[in-house]
Amino acid sequence: MADQPIWVSFIVAFIVLNVLLISMAYMTWFERKVLAAMQDRLGPTRSGPHGLFQPLADAVKLLGKEDLIPAAADKWVFLFAPVAVFVAALTAASVIPFGGTIDFWGHPVNLFAADLNVGALFVLAVGSAGVYGIILGAWASANRFALLGGLRSAAQVISYELILGFSLVGIFILSGTLSLRGIMVEQSRSIEIGPLHISNWFILSQPLAFVLFLIAAVAETNRAPFDLPEAETELVAGFHTEYSGFRFSLYFLGEYINMIVVSLFASTLFLGGTDGPGSDSYWALGLLWLFLKTIAFLFFYVWLRGTLPRFRFDQLMGLAWKVLLPLALFNIFITALLRIIANGQLF
Amino acid sequence: MPWELIFFYVIGAASVLCALGMVLAKNPVHSGIFLVLTFLNVAGIFVMLGAEFLAVIQIIVYTGAILILMLFVLMLVDPEDLPSFSSAAPLQRNLSVLLGIVLVLELAAAIITRTSLGAVGPDTPAAIASVGGNTQAIGLRIYSKYLLAFEITSLVLTVGVIGAVVLALPERLGEKVQRRRDTISLAHARGSDGLLPEGPKGETPITVDPQREAALQSAGRTLIMTKDPDAYTRVGVRQGRPDETND
Repeated sequence: MADQPIWVSFIVAFIVLNVLLISMAYMTWFERKVLAAMQDRLGPTRSGPHGLFQPLADAVKLLGKEDLIPAAADKWVFLFAPVAVFVAALTAASVIPFGGTIDFWGHPVNLFAADLNVGALFVLAVGSAGVYGIILGAWASANRFALLGGLRSAAQVISYELILGFSLVGIFILSGTLSLRGIMVEQSRSIEIGPLHISNWFILSQPLAFVLFLIAAVAETNRAPFDLPEAETELVAGFHTEYSGFRFSLYFLGEYINMIVVSLFASTLFLGGTDGPGSDSYWALGLLWLFLKTIAFLFFYVWLRGTLPRFRFDQLMGLAWKVLLPLALFNIFITALLRIIANGQLF
Repeated sequence: MPWELIFFYVIGAASVLCALGMVLAKNPVHSGIFLVLTFLNVAGIFVMLGAEFLAVIQIIVYTGAILILMLFVLMLVDPEDLPSFSSAAPLQRNLSVLLGIVLVLELAAAIITRTSLGAVGPDTPAAIASVGGNTQAIGLRIYSKYLLAFEITSLVLTVGVIGAVVLALPERLGEKVQRRRDTISLAHARGSDGLLPEGPKGETPITVDPQREAALQSAGRTLIMTKDPDAYTRVGVRQGRPDETND
């Protein structure tokens, strides 16, 4: 990792930001197409070939709508809340590594905006700060459906964030670092068992943690089957009932960017990030592997939405506290025990 | 270097202003928002001091969990039902002034010994770098020098958790508690009306259904009477609004 002038980091961050925004737009297209295929429909077909311009049309439509503020709303909180969701979702992406240091016409360039030494925790912290956008927006709307959605969101996120954090402890124990870059480098090693060379991806050594992480991540991003904060059959539209136009689109953007960031995060933590055949020699190949892994996670999200009905709220909380939390603690215990035995500190 | 100084003053001023806003805001939810902003700014100061781990933990624990729970409560409580600050007992007020002065003196003593007297603490950047970073340094301290204090803290927290479990127990065990008004039961689908003779299950005991009203009349114990659903919809409506005087 080379030190670089701060403006290079800014350029990398700018590119990451724009790629995220564009991929978010096409994530909506991807989701609609995949859902349509699962439900034997066609999905968007009208704007452009295969409906490829549909995200642009949607964006124009949303921006052109009236920005309504309810009379009873707490105006400033109401205006600010969607921005918080959006900003938090984008900030989390700044520590995701997209590769190592590359040589760009003689200049060393790091393929990440920042390598924080607590990067993995940073993603969790920013994610938890983003919830304020949801619950404050819900409260400020002065609408009972919105408030109920916001309260559900608060309870859900607190519970599942605990599991998300605990599922990562095993990885921290094995890799000895909290930096996402460090975790990725650790996974690009290969373990030799006899003639076999197995990559050290943490999905192999931490399968239980991977499952827990996946469940908690879906809940954390308020996606089906954990989308109770916006359960339309009970709560009209949940926390964003009173939002329209541009501010609604900020919530929408935030949710989809969160999905993409969580998928990138999961690929980095469990699937080796950019690690794959040829990624050591060509950084573009590494990016391609990361892209494919992320698409796999995003497909999984859509697949879940197309398959599972929504949980009931008490089932959701019961699952978190009575099933997932003990499993996460068990995983930490076993991992720590094995680590101590492997280090020869126990016997 | 001057850039760091400018950032520090901006973040410092923002955190002080947010802390003032937290104390001065009339609406408890606004106070909560200001407290969130204060915590975020303090986390920024931690990052500038090279204590990234503390910053992130501060956001995860305080901003992400504790304050969300507090806002959760504040949003459900009508601002009029809250006791005002001026109603605090004289003992409380005098004690708070005293403790405030002690805190300021402690901070001043710390600043004076570190700057004017030039006594550098044991945790110099070199000492921290030698154990591998601030995360490792904090871990070593907590699990060696301050192990006892750390374990006692976790014991206290466990007691808190057990207390919460006892308070939230379903009625069959909590039968001795006679009046549990306006409690929210997230975990029990039946609420706490399990002993009603008959009537629809799965709702809070609101007298909407004539059959249910009869059941309430003949019930053998004090029942939980929650407010009318419309009484809950004044959330976010500020005091003195015309629509509030109409109902």
